Amino acid sequence: MKADKRAGVLAHLAAALAIIVAAAPFLWMILTSLKTPPEIIGTETGILPHSFYLDNYKNLFDTEFLAYFVNSALIAVATTAIALAVAILAGYGFARFRFVGNRPLLLIVVCAQMFPAVLLAIPLYKIMRTLGLLDSRAGLVLVYVTFALPFCIWMMRNYFLGMSVEIEEAALIDGCNRFTALWRVVLPPALPGVAAASAFCIILVWDEYLYANTFIDTDSKRTLSVGLATLMGQYTTDWGRLMAAAVLMTVPIVVIFAFLQRFLTHIAGGGVKG
Amino acid sequence: MIGTTVADARTGRTSAGPARRRRGWLAPALFLAPALVIMALVLGYPVLSAIWTSLNADFLTKPDADHFVGLGNFTALLLHDPTFWKTVLRTVIWAVANLIPQIVLGLVLALILHRRLLARGFVRSVVIIPWIVPTVVVAFLWLFLLDPTSGPLNHLLQATGIVDSPPVWFSDASTAFPVLILVSLWKWTPFVTVILLGALQTVPPELEEAAVIDGAGRLQRFRYVVVPHISTSIALASLLTIAYSVNNFNGIWLFTQGGPAGATDTLTTLAYRTAFKEYDFGMAAAISVVIFVGLLGISALYFYVIEGRRHRKGRPSRQHRKGRVA
Repeated sequence: MKADKRAGVLAHLAAALAIIVAAAPFLWMILTSLKTPPEIIGTETGILPHSFYLDNYKNLFDTEFLAYFVNSALIAVATTAIALAVAILAGYGFARFRFVGNRPLLLIVVCAQMFPAVLLAIPLYKIMRTLGLLDSRAGLVLVYVTFALPFCIWMMRNYFLGMSVEIEEAALIDGCNRFTALWRVVLPPALPGVAAASAFCIILVWDEYLYANTFIDTDSKRTLSVGLATLMGQYTTDWGRLMAAAVLMTVPIVVIFAFLQRFLTHIAGGGVKG
Repeated sequence: MIGTTVADARTGRTSAGPARRRRGWLAPALFLAPALVIMALVLGYPVLSAIWTSLNADFLTKPDADHFVGLGNFTALLLHDPTFWKTVLRTVIWAVANLIPQIVLGLVLALILHRRLLARGFVRSVVIIPWIVPTVVVAFLWLFLLDPTSGPLNHLLQATGIVDSPPVWFSDASTAFPVLILVSLWKWTPFVTVILLGALQTVPPELEEAAVIDGAGRLQRFRYVVVPHISTSIALASLLTIAYSVNNFNGIWLFTQGGPAGATDTLTTLAYRTAFKEYDFGMAAAISVVIFVGLLGISALYFYVIEGRRHRKGRPSRQHRKGRVA
């Protein structure tokens, strides 16, 4: 028991260290966003800001920041909804039917995400141009859905594999078809898996830079990550304003994850249960 | 076309229940069609197109000079380009330096977060923040923290007299790559932790309790109960870490663009520069095909070793155990 207690203390110390390492840079980011330029450059010293200096945030409204924010939010919602609808169907198909080509197809789905995204930019640019989707948010949604699909399909498939088929069969006997059985019986208990897959989609959209930078020309259609890089170019040394933008970009995703955190571990719990 | 029997694909059972006796290719086709159509259009076709490009001389600046060169790009790359092999080596170092610490630290962190802790939910939420925060933010944040004139780290180093002149972390060829690796570990270790934490939660508590009753010590329980249960997840986390770090473009480009003087170039940034700065699409495609083939090899290994083993484990009947390995 004594050893147990010591291990408990050690675990708490290690957890505290992990929190500091993970969070301290972000705390500094928040503090910096509230500092005046002289405080940031270091001519006036001090860890905490002398006063709550909000001009860094106000200055952001001189830019297209709000438009970037709305664009990213819209694209994230659309991508998540479409990718999950498609991945739930496909994951169920892979989990519950045996057909020639099941495993090779699954292998292709998994390996498809190995191709370096950098080089798909050239052929995708040509496709988007043909479809008339260049410089449009819908085009980005299509690309993001595709990049989210392999992981989401894989996750949903493994989640469904871990669920028993008996209730589903009862539903089928009671007159459900496969689709209504999936909707009414299979999906409700699989919601943690769905939440985890959504988390993955949101991360992907919020993070993506390369395609958003290549496919969108109009400033007002840019996403946050590209918009932020644009600000970086314009206000090279205005760290306060850049940190304020970074804080505003970080807050929504952290709030969402505070809620999704307990489902997130299902990425593995459901995702690789074997 | 596709012959099917409806079954639980995990156990491979085809029982006599009415739901499972249904045959036909239509049902799976309907379920899979949307995914396959989108993936064929936005993933399949571009991949094939890029492979075709790698077999051609294709310069954006000389559109009329395109012609088929067979493996010409590859022989030029593999036989006559010393920077290519240097970059291959750096990419391997990048992948290994990401993989090993992330798996070790990620596992340790997962084991800690799996224990009874004060405010465990809060701790878990905070620890995953570096992973969920966009790379652009991470790049700005660290470029600022390590900035020679405004960065707090250099203020601290100078105030304490450790250095006289501020180090230019990202512009110095000797420090840029190690610092990038550290930032990458900081950002990606939580991802491994999340996967392994999820796996730890599937270890049945009865199993550990039984081991305690049988007198197993802490290390023995870890070695003989926990590790076998989560080994599949460790393998999956390793595969994903390798693939993500090799394909990680933002995590390098937004910091250093592969510089100074190519000191932080991996194959991915090299391919990007070859395509979009030198406009040599054929050569860039060839580099990315090399990346693809390397990662495919590693995934194939994973799929056949791990998934094959799981498949066999899931089919306990003797008939299947003797049967083919899928």
